[in-house]
Amino acid sequence: MRIQVRLFATYREIVGSQGLTWSARDGLTVRELVDEVVAKYPRLAGHRDTMLLAVNHDFAPTDRILQEGDEVALLPPVSGGAR
Amino acid sequence: MINVGRARIDLEAVVDSVRRDEVGAIVLFVGTVRSDAGVRALDYEVYRPMAIKSLTTLAERAKDKFGLTDMSIVHRLGRVPVGGDSVAIACAAVHRAEAFAACAWVMDEVKRIVPIWKTEIADRADRVRRRR
Repeated sequence: MRIQVRLFATYREIVGSQGLTWSARDGLTVRELVDEVVAKYPRLAGHRDTMLLAVNHDFAPTDRILQEGDEVALLPPVSGGAR
Repeated sequence: MINVGRARIDLEAVVDSVRRDEVGAIVLFVGTVRSDAGVRALDYEVYRPMAIKSLTTLAERAKDKFGLTDMSIVHRLGRVPVGGDSVAIACAAVHRAEAFAACAWVMDEVKRIVPIWKTEIADRADRVRRRR
């Protein structure tokens, strides 16, 4: 199945792209997908502890099982506002 | 009114969007870009569909939690110079206490869960850094 991976801010700069199309096996969890992405882009590894994860625009637990066409976003700690 | 966009925020329009006859208090919070040393602007990046969704949910939660009549949140995207407005939140209620409390709570939540990131744009082109 295919999963869309979205990347923002620091992660976008590390990967050099704002989005990836990921070929994934059926039954893959969010955690396993992130493992694969980090294995391909090792500079993301240092950000793992603070990484937020969303599936289809909602924060998602790492054990969530992905479905064909899901959009998974790897989000750095957010920093909206002006302070 | 919930929006994330590149246009300058029309503060009067944000206030008017929550005006009702039964409202006795409207609190407007405006976040502005501060002139920290060497900074001339902030660049905002957003995951738009998720940001709109989470701002909409936040506004609904705030209305329930504080008994607001209405609430609007508008956030800038792209480059905002020092002195410019980056976010505006208007909370309308029958009485002022709820409106003040809701505005503070919502701004904290925006900084905690809404997928928006900012990068400092420095006076010198070689100095760019992320700000939390």
